Amino acid sequence: MTRRPVFRDGVLRDNPVAVMLVGLCPAAAVTSRVIDAAWMSVGLFFVLLLTRLCQAILHALRAPDLSEPPAPGAPPQTSVFPLRPRWLGSLLLSSCFTAAFELILLAFAPSESASLGIYVPLLAVNCLVLERFQRSGPEDEPESPVRVIARSLREAAGLGAGFAICLVAISLVRELLGSGTITLFAAGSFGGTIEVGGLSSVPVRALTYGGGGLLCLGYLAGFARLLGRRKRRSGATEAGRS
Amino acid sequence: MADVHQDTRPASLVVSPAPHVTGSASSARLSWSVAFCLLPAAAWGVFLFGVPALGVLGVAVAASLAAELLAGLAARRVTIGDGSAIVTGLLVGMLMPPGVPLYVPAAASGFGIIVAKQSFGGLGRNWMNPALAGVVVALLSWSDGMSRWLPVRSAAPTVTAVPPLEALRNALTAGAPRGGALEMLRASGYPWSGMDSSVVGWVNTHVLSLFGWHLPGGCFDLLVGNISGTIGGTSVPLLLLGAALLLSRRVIRWQLPVTYLAIFCLAAQVFGGLPAGGGWFVGNMLFQVFSGGGLVLGAFFMATDPVTSPLTRTGQLAYGLCLGVLTFFLRTFGSLGDGVPLAILLGNCLSPLIDRFTRPAFPTQRKAAPG
Amino acid sequence: MSLLGIILTFTLVDNIVLSRLLGICPCVSAPSDMRGTAAAAAATSLLMSLSALAGWALQTFLLEPLGLGFLRTPVFVLCVACIAGFLDLLARRAAPRLLRAARVPLAGVVFNCAALGVVLIAARGGFSALESLAVGFAAGAGFFVVLSLLTAIRERLDVESVPEWLQGLPLHLISAGLLAFAFLAFDRAFLSRLLRGW
Repeated sequence: MTRRPVFRDGVLRDNPVAVMLVGLCPAAAVTSRVIDAAWMSVGLFFVLLLTRLCQAILHALRAPDLSEPPAPGAPPQTSVFPLRPRWLGSLLLSSCFTAAFELILLAFAPSESASLGIYVPLLAVNCLVLERFQRSGPEDEPESPVRVIARSLREAAGLGAGFAICLVAISLVRELLGSGTITLFAAGSFGGTIEVGGLSSVPVRALTYGGGGLLCLGYLAGFARLLGRRKRRSGATEAGRS
Repeated sequence: MADVHQDTRPASLVVSPAPHVTGSASSARLSWSVAFCLLPAAAWGVFLFGVPALGVLGVAVAASLAAELLAGLAARRVTIGDGSAIVTGLLVGMLMPPGVPLYVPAAASGFGIIVAKQSFGGLGRNWMNPALAGVVVALLSWSDGMSRWLPVRSAAPTVTAVPPLEALRNALTAGAPRGGALEMLRASGYPWSGMDSSVVGWVNTHVLSLFGWHLPGGCFDLLVGNISGTIGGTSVPLLLLGAALLLSRRVIRWQLPVTYLAIFCLAAQVFGGLPAGGGWFVGNMLFQVFSGGGLVLGAFFMATDPVTSPLTRTGQLAYGLCLGVLTFFLRTFGSLGDGVPLAILLGNCLSPLIDRFTRPAFPTQRKAAPG
Repeated sequence: MSLLGIILTFTLVDNIVLSRLLGICPCVSAPSDMRGTAAAAAATSLLMSLSALAGWALQTFLLEPLGLGFLRTPVFVLCVACIAGFLDLLARRAAPRLLRAARVPLAGVVFNCAALGVVLIAARGGFSALESLAVGFAAGAGFFVVLSLLTAIRERLDVESVPEWLQGLPLHLISAGLLAFAFLAFDRAFLSRLLRGW
């Protein structure tokens, strides 16, 4: 019995930002500073994990025969009535957890909450988009509820990790080249901002604008594809999507 | 002149209206012609501002060639021989102020070539003018570097250099008494050259006084191009010379630049006086054209880029209209430098849409024989 | 801000796609014909206008009086989903051909950031009812402008010469980025001077 490496899949093969190109809005919008990207990733983790956990528990409780795949992670249907119970449930769950994260952020990092602005509530819809790509379990054997939940969580963690890596990568490039600084969590005497000498005096400010974000995103997606192709060409065991 | 380009590769028939990106030979000839015709104005810029201008031009061209070479090596198809990289480098250099720090034209050229041109597949496949893309990114990123004007060679060393257009804008925001453009500049003490005052004085006393007319000071400087500004955007006569050469060799067609300039001048003359508190029809269109900043450069050398402008004549007229209107608005109300690079950039964005609505029907839909 | 100011701001200066970076997903993967583009953009515009108005109503009459500000996200998400579902039903009954031409499922429009983002912007901006409607409408107009431009650019691209690793979505994102730089010509200073007449 081979376990599919769902965590690794989420980071590499099915990376939400670079490969599947979902959740692009925060990836381009909040990556002008590293700390914004970091908090956004934390938020996505929070909402995605909790939403998946609840969904998996609900599914495990509801369906006795777990050999059925939970949902087709298939190409999107041509016309979906958004108020189907499944979508509605997911909507409610992810938006409630997003509201919770908004409050947490407001409590622990109010300046971050102000600078992230409207993009935190948008986590609700981003998680929903990611949820549509949920994978089904191995079809040849029934899974216990715990296994389903564990797999769901691993998958969510993988997607979240992939999202985080991409966001932090883009934000490093944008902030380093665009402002010459790296803004991190302030801790103790460390004010939170690292200034990189040469770049901070003459930064490429264009990168901090939206256009810079879109450009970085485009090139990141391209590089991801390039890396994927190199890997396939060198005969890696992982068969990739073309 | 509908031409059907038949692709002989199996299972892929490309049918589209003319013109198409033809072989590298004619594209190369085009680029080298444009580069040649830009040289007089560039040389004038070097003459006016000296070694710094030469440095900027050199760095811009070198960076452009280097970027093209790098991209070519990566794609295994080196194309620096087609001259387009040199044109891009020259244009970037000519749009820079002479005192700009050298990393700015280098970055602008590199960005333009790599992002705006090579990422899309190279010469002929881009939809945005690479030189303009680079210049606008430089404007956005290093706005103080892009305002390092230098005084002209003949000016007194204590003079702070400001291009006439910017000086006018400063005078307007400072609340100077409203009037004609040149009067306002004179009132704010704009340093016209000694030669200008002597020539204009002579003409006024000996020629125009007979008719009771009077030329304001500064006309000679503006006409000849002895003003501070971007390296390539100072001498209108030399730019027009280059443009005439291009037109005579049929590298560019006259409809687009003439429409552009005409619409802009109309808008400037009719509405240009309004912001200054003047009335209608008193905007000074000649001042706008000759005050440098590359309106003529943009109209004849950048807007007419066959790759980024519409294909059909109707399309080009519409394009010229859009460009004229955009340039007027961005010059009058904008704050990012002089409006021409941004306006043409926006025009580049509109050009595929204009094409979409003005392209001719496919030849198969008409019974006309291909011409 | 006057209504004209609002419309110009959200269409050009603070364009929903190029400045706020919402709704990128449909813009770069939209149908590549103009009819589909127009249909998708019209649907989105309608959705944004109605949602913005509904968001204002919910904020003013439900959330603020009852002190339920922290429930804003779930309420708005559900509101957008309901309106989208209603529009979907309407479209399927009244204009099925347009819906097929759009080929962007209304669900895709809901589950991207654009509509929800517009509602949030309108709610946070403290606008009146009419102004909120204008915000939604202007955002939709801006979305339409960008979508049309990007579709025309896509049609123009010569796919075979593009480097393989950049083909498709990466290149569309790069095009969108270049478009965003061009739109930075319209900044707040420009708008305020234009409205003031210098």
